[in-house]
Formats: sequence, C-alpha cells, structure tokens
Amino acid sequence: MTLPPVIGDLMPLAPAAVLVVVAATALLAGVFARDRAPLVALALLGVAAALVLAFDQWSRAIAAGTAGAALGGAYLGDAIGHAFTFVILLGTGLAILLADAHRERLGMDHPELHPLLLLSAAGALVLVSAGDLVTLLLGLEIMSLAVYVLAAWRERSRSGEEAGMKYFLLGAFASAVFVYGMALVYGATGRFDFAGVAAAAADPSFAAHGVLLLGGVFVLVGLTFKAAFAPFHQWLPDVYSGSPTPITAFMSVVVKAAAFGALVRVAGTLFGALGPGALGEVLPGMFGVLVGATLVVGNFGALLQSGVKRMLAYSAIAHAGYVGLAVLAGGADGAAAAAFYLLAYTLTTLVAFAVLLSIMDDDDRGDRLERLEGLGRRRPWLAAALAVSMLSLAGFPPFAGFIGKLMVFQAAIAAGHTALAVVGIATAVVAVAVYARVVVAMFLRDPAGHALPQRRVGRGTLAVLAVGVVGTIALGLFPGGWLDLVARTPWWALGS
Amino acid sequence: MIAALMVLLPAAVAVALALAPRPAVHRPLAVLGVVGTLALGLLATGDAARIEVPWIPALGTWIALDAGGAGGVLARIAAFVLLPTVLWAGARVQERPHLFLAWLLATLAGLGGIFLARDLVLFYVFWELTLIPGLALLAGWGLTHRRTAMLKYLLYAVAGSFAMLLSVLAIRPLAGAEGYRFDQLLAAAPLLDPLTQAWIFAGFAFGFAVKLPIFPLHAWLIDVAEQNHASGAADVAGTLYKVGGFGLFAWAIPLLPAGATALAPAGLALGAFTAVYGALIATRHTHLKRILAYASLSHMGIVAVGLFSLHLAGKTGSMALLAAQMVTTGGLFLVSGMLHDRRATFDLDAFGGLAKSAPALAAATLVVLFASIGVPGLANFPGEFLALLGAFQAAPAAAVVAVLAVIAAGALGVNLFQRLFQGEGKERTRDVSPLEVAVFAPILALTLWFGLAPATNLTVFEREAAVAAEVVAAPAPAPDPRLVQGGAR
Repeated sequence: MTLPPVIGDLMPLAPAAVLVVVAATALLAGVFARDRAPLVALALLGVAAALVLAFDQWSRAIAAGTAGAALGGAYLGDAIGHAFTFVILLGTGLAILLADAHRERLGMDHPELHPLLLLSAAGALVLVSAGDLVTLLLGLEIMSLAVYVLAAWRERSRSGEEAGMKYFLLGAFASAVFVYGMALVYGATGRFDFAGVAAAAADPSFAAHGVLLLGGVFVLVGLTFKAAFAPFHQWLPDVYSGSPTPITAFMSVVVKAAAFGALVRVAGTLFGALGPGALGEVLPGMFGVLVGATLVVGNFGALLQSGVKRMLAYSAIAHAGYVGLAVLAGGADGAAAAAFYLLAYTLTTLVAFAVLLSIMDDDDRGDRLERLEGLGRRRPWLAAALAVSMLSLAGFPPFAGFIGKLMVFQAAIAAGHTALAVVGIATAVVAVAVYARVVVAMFLRDPAGHALPQRRVGRGTLAVLAVGVVGTIALGLFPGGWLDLVARTPWWALGS
Repeated sequence: MIAALMVLLPAAVAVALALAPRPAVHRPLAVLGVVGTLALGLLATGDAARIEVPWIPALGTWIALDAGGAGGVLARIAAFVLLPTVLWAGARVQERPHLFLAWLLATLAGLGGIFLARDLVLFYVFWELTLIPGLALLAGWGLTHRRTAMLKYLLYAVAGSFAMLLSVLAIRPLAGAEGYRFDQLLAAAPLLDPLTQAWIFAGFAFGFAVKLPIFPLHAWLIDVAEQNHASGAADVAGTLYKVGGFGLFAWAIPLLPAGATALAPAGLALGAFTAVYGALIATRHTHLKRILAYASLSHMGIVAVGLFSLHLAGKTGSMALLAAQMVTTGGLFLVSGMLHDRRATFDLDAFGGLAKSAPALAAATLVVLFASIGVPGLANFPGEFLALLGAFQAAPAAAVVAVLAVIAAGALGVNLFQRLFQGEGKERTRDVSPLEVAVFAPILALTLWFGLAPATNLTVFEREAAVAAEVVAAPAPAPDPRLVQGGAR
C-alpha cells in the first residue's frame, strides 16, 4: 500500500506521535477510570505500538538505502535516530513496568504518572531525531518539563522538593545557555539545520569563525549540562537520590540516552565545522577535557558514596564519560559505539534499580550499602541479578558492558584520543572497586541485623529483571546482530 | 569443533554441579567433566582441533580456537592436574562441596579458553572471566583474612588486565590489521614502528607480569595462597591460572618483536631478581603455603628470564617449565592440604619426623619436591635448563643471577623436606590413604613423564617459539607504507 505523499513524509514522526496520542488518551481516561490497571496496559501498549512503528521505519530505511526525513529535514530517521529511538522506547517500557510495580507504596498512584512518562519519552524521541537546532530545543523542553514534575513527586518530602526544584532551575539555566549558543550559531551561519550549518561553515567565503566557535561552546555546555558532564554534574546526585526511585531509573536511562543522541549530532556538526586548524581544535579539545574530568569525578565520586542510589548517580556520571569518549571519537563508529553503550547501560541499570526497589523500605528510603549485606543468602536470585548488573557495569566479559567499553575505547583510539582512552581505562579500575563493594556486601558479609521488607517480586519487576539480565548476557555474547543492524542503516547526510 | 567442546563441556558441568540436587552425584559428575575434557583434549588433532567463526564482525573478532599448538598442550595438562584436585577437593571440602567443584570446573573452562583462543579479544574475554572462579573460591571458602586478600588480588588483576585491554584495543587500529585473529594480527602488527610496538608491548607486559607474577607485582599471590581453603585445591586452580608467561609467549612476543626487544632488558632484570628474591624470601618463612607461593614466584622469575631472552631455547624452556610447574607446584599445594589434614596447621614447627610413621607420603612428596627444585630426570629440569641456556646466550648476567636462584631453591627444597619429614617425630601420623594414593598417582606419573620424555611437549613449544624467532631474527622491517603516507600528509 502506498501512502499519500504528505502522510508518507510524516511517517518518521509516527512513533513520537503515538506516544503523545496515548499520553493524551490516558490522561483523559485517568480522570474517569477507577482502576489503574487498564491505564498501565494502555501506556505499555502505546510504547509497544511506537516500537513496532519505529522498527518498521528502521527496516524501510535499510531497504531503501536512504535515511528517512520528515518536515523538510527537521526530523531525521537515520542510524542515530533509529538506534537511539529503540534504546529510549525500550527504557521507557521497562521504566513504566518498574513504576507500576511500586506505584501504590510510593504514593505514585495518580492518573498523570504514565502520561508524563510517555510525554517525556516523546520529547526524547524528538530530541534524538532532530535535524535542526530548533527541533532539538523543542524535544529537549518537552522531555525535560515532564521530568521536572516527575522528579518532584515525593509529597511532603524535603529531598523530593529539593530534587524537583534543583532539576528545574538548573535545567532551565542549561536550556538558556543552549538557546544563547543556538542564536550565536544562527548569527554566524544563518542556518538552524545541522547540514546547513556545516555547509555554511565549509563555504570558502565564511568569515564568522569566532562567533560560530562561541555559539558552539554555549551549545555544548548546555547539552553537557543535561548529560551531566563534570563540572556541570553537581545537580545530578541530589536529583537522583531525591526523586522516587522508578523516576530515577527513568531519568538515568531515557533522559541520558536522549541527551547523548543530541550530543552525537551536535558534536558531529560542530567539531568539524571550524576546519582542521587551531580554531577547529578548540571545541573537541574542550569536550575532551570535560570527558576526562567526568571520568575522574564520576568514578571517584561513586567510590565515596554509602548510599546505593547515590552510588548509581555517580556511576551514571562516570558512564556519561565513557559515552562521551565515543562522541568525541565521532563518525559512524563513534555513534554506533555510543548507541551500543547506552543500550547496554539501559538494560544493566534497570536491573540494578529493579533489585533496589525490591528491597528498599516502603517509603522509598533505605538504600544504604549495609542493606545489601547478606543478600546472597537471603534473596539469592535478586543478588545474582544485581551481581550480573554490577559486573556488566564494571566492564567484565561476557556481559554487554564489556563489549560497550571495547567499542568505545576502540573508537577513541582509532580516532587518535589515546591519552583519554588511558584515563578511561585507569578510572575503570576505580569503577571495578565501586561495583565490587556491592558484590562483596551481598556475598561476603553476614546478613545485618535489620529486616528486609518481605516484598514479593511481582510480574512487572520480574519482567524487567528477565529482560535486563537476559539482554545483558545476550548482548555481551552476541552483539553482532544489533551492531550489524546499526551499521546497515543509512548514515545522515552530514556524516559524509 | 573439539576445541570449542573443551571449553563448553567443563562450563556445562560447572552449571550442572551448581544446580545438581543430590550430593551423591557431585563427585562423579565433576570427575566425569574433567576426564571428558581431558579426553577431548587428547582427541583434538589436526582439523578437528580448530574452530573459526566470525563473532563480532564490526570489531573484527572471531571465535577462533585451536588445540593443536602450545596452548593445547597446556590445556591438556591443566585438565590432567585438575583431576586429582577434584578428587581431593570433593573429599576435603565440607561446606557446599558441589559449588567448590563447580568453580573448579569453571576454572578449567576458562583456562581452556585462554590456552586455545586464537583471537586476541576472545583471549582477553577468557583471561578476565577466569578471574571470577578464583575470586569465588577465595570468597566462599577462604580463611579469616580473605577479604583483604581478595581486594588485593582483584585490584592487581584488574589493573593488569585493563592495561592489557588498552593494548588489545590499540593494536588492531594502529597496525591496520583486518581482524583480531592471530594470523591477521601477525600479518600487520610486527610492521609497526618500534616505539609504538614498545608502548603496546608495555601494556601487555604489565598485564602479564601481574599474572606471572614477577616483582614488584607479586604481592597478591602470597596473600591469596595463605588465605585460600586449607585443602590446597583452590591454590592448584590458582597455579594453573598463572598464565602470564603463556600470554607473553603466545601473543605479545610474536606480535610485537621490536617492542619485546626494547623491553627485554627490563624483563630480564626483573625476572632474574624475582627468581632470587622469591627463593630467598621463601627460606625466611615458616608458613608452608607462603613458602610454596614464594618458591613458585621464584620459578616464574626463571620463566620470565627465559622468555625475555627472546632466544628459541629460552622461550621453549620457559613454556616447558610453566607446564611442569603446573604439575609440581600444584602437587605440592595438594601435599600441603594433606599435611594440614594431619596437623591442622601450616606452621613448619608443628611438623618433623613424619617420614617415620608415613614413609610413603614422605617418598611421594620427595619426588614432587625434587622435581620442583629442578633435579634432573624429573619434571622441572628440562624447562629450567633450556630457559637458562637461552638466557646465557642472550644475557649472561641475568642468567648467572637466575642460576643463583636455582641453587637457593635447591637448598630451600632440601631444608623443607628435612623440617617436614625428618628428625625426631613429635607424634605419629597415618600414612597415605587410598584417596591420597589416587591423588598422587597422576601427579607422579606426569612428573616422571615430563622429566624422562620431555621431547613430546618440547617439540610443540619449539615449533611455536620458532614463529616468533623468525620475526625477531628478520632484518628490521621496511617502514609501513601507510605510516609513511600518514606522516607525509
């Protein structure tokens, strides 16, 4: 069946559109529905439908051999867009399952929970598919607004309020910096679209190098703020530990993946735009310094934490550093490495949060490391799942995290960033100590005196654990399928 | 195909052991797993010994295993040594014995992967994976201070393997090799310029030096040996996992000949020092397992000296010594378990005069101990001799120092035997039990076989050592055209 040209042109937008429609429907239905179960089913169905549509688009792009584009190139369906869309939708589906499993005890039993998650995911899809800076900003704001609300969900909780407020204020600040940079880039090149900016800068008559550089610095700072690169990371541990744990899980996988999808595109445009000279070295150089600082701050910061949630927050910063290495490496290899790393990170991290949610107190507190002591004896299967997650995060084979590190470092070394790769490897040793603490607590220490909540592992949590653990192992042993899929997807026009 | 089964069979048996409900099946199952692996190893010849399928095409890695070379020999020996170990552990480990056996089988699977892998990434994967069984054995069955020992081991090992990972990652893109398979790397990596080779080699060497281990990266070994389960079975697994020498022999030296040449002086010096240091420190201790750990450290120093001589005989001898010490050091650790069984301590002062009441135990131990100190006609001698011979050709000074270590080790061995078995007996003890006879039998058989008919293994080792020797001996390679182009641009 051939579609009329206008609608056919809009097909790349379909996954995001489905999420918005389902979110609106769920919001309306939530006003009238007494039972929440159908709403959860509706939300999951929406994510599933978006996944099917996204896959359809993806296979069409591969079959056609050209990247999909809608709205005159403002919305792209290329390798970056498709790969990151899949990661985001997967993370969203699993996060909804997690939130649902614990919604009653966490006081999250309100009709707007799922619509907010879906809206945020829709924004994330726009963010990673944006073909110009304006669309990118739109996606960023759609995604962030919903998450600001979600982060502040904890009622009558100081840390919850702090989390929401901090996230909102700093997020708005980052957006402002980004918009300022955007304006400067437009001022220098007269274009918002990435391909146009690159083309304008490459023109021999282009003279506004200084303005473009300044704009690039601001745009990068805005995005690295969102992606929590050091030294712009300070908000993240407070926000992560203050938010309800399922929301923390959502933020650490979906929001992070989306921010990196955008970074890959922006870096791909700007790093090469200023030519090979000294001026062209400034942006990659600056980004490289941020990556190095992030690796050090994230890994050493994680080592100092006594709460597992905060430890995971610093670990999120550290992993941002590794993905940053891939972004810095650039090109198709770098983007593929970043997407793979984030896919692995999504599966692995959700397992950690699912286990954590199963053993924390009813009021969403009690994430101290001591609580994990003796878990290997008390809840052996949960402990085993968490051990798989920790080993993968630490980069042990045969888990997905190892292949992710392999690809990231390989891309970085091939692109000539050997010194940063050395920093990455050196800090990875610290990371092993971080994750080993968890494993040691679970299997080597006797059960502490305190009681663990006798909570059954429900169907939703079980599904998250199963998908996460099986995915982590399968991706570690046979990453070829996914990598091949990404490699066969047409690259965006700018990459050539 | 058989090569893949040599990894998969023990892995499957390990899983089965962990899940098997009935205690009665545990020991037979474990023995069956080891014997099956050994049988597969003996069957693996010619084309059946190889497997080669693409793994991750995007990274150029392969599932490539080959049981026909030096690695195949070591994998078979590892399985052979694990046989008495499994028998002994099954009887001596009281707490969750099936899990202990499962980890031993997992070690065997990992070792199979390390020794047989012909793809560098696959090699690294198994290298890293095999760390986990060792840590688990220490964590689950170690003594009081195991946590410190574990942390030390983990950090040393991880620091080493990550340095190595960096080299693994760098070697293919920098050399412009098609993939990570050994032959693909061998076609490109030796052409790299000497400075790059030296850096990459340094990363490998650091990782391998931790595992060998040689001074100053050896501290973990002593603690781990002291804190492991008193049966000594976990130490055998640890002894088999000392694969640093193999890594240098099979990967780093052939792939990076110029890098090896550049760093050989440092390797020779550290190796020779380690050999003497280990032997001398061993004489100052009274804890039996610490003594054994230092003595094996001394052997590793000689292995390093032989390898870094970059001489055909030296490298061949080092591999033979590595293979022999798997048997003899492994056997001595099992003996330490038997002695602990009798006196519930590792303190030498508690022993003495055992030969009177346990003459068979004394005789069997004497053979293994003498083999370990390099008495001709027994397992360690051919390897030690060749390693030192090679060293004398390349670096006489280092060789002289290493020979001092052999003399010190001889004194140590004789002294150890005297303190354990001779002199006035404090109290009577029982002689070997049927189980102990079964444990000794394969160890003694291999000890004698390696000593009396060393040629079987030596030819295989020599054939592989020759590959690298040719590359090293060849005149300096012409500059790589790609690099020249890159430089001009």
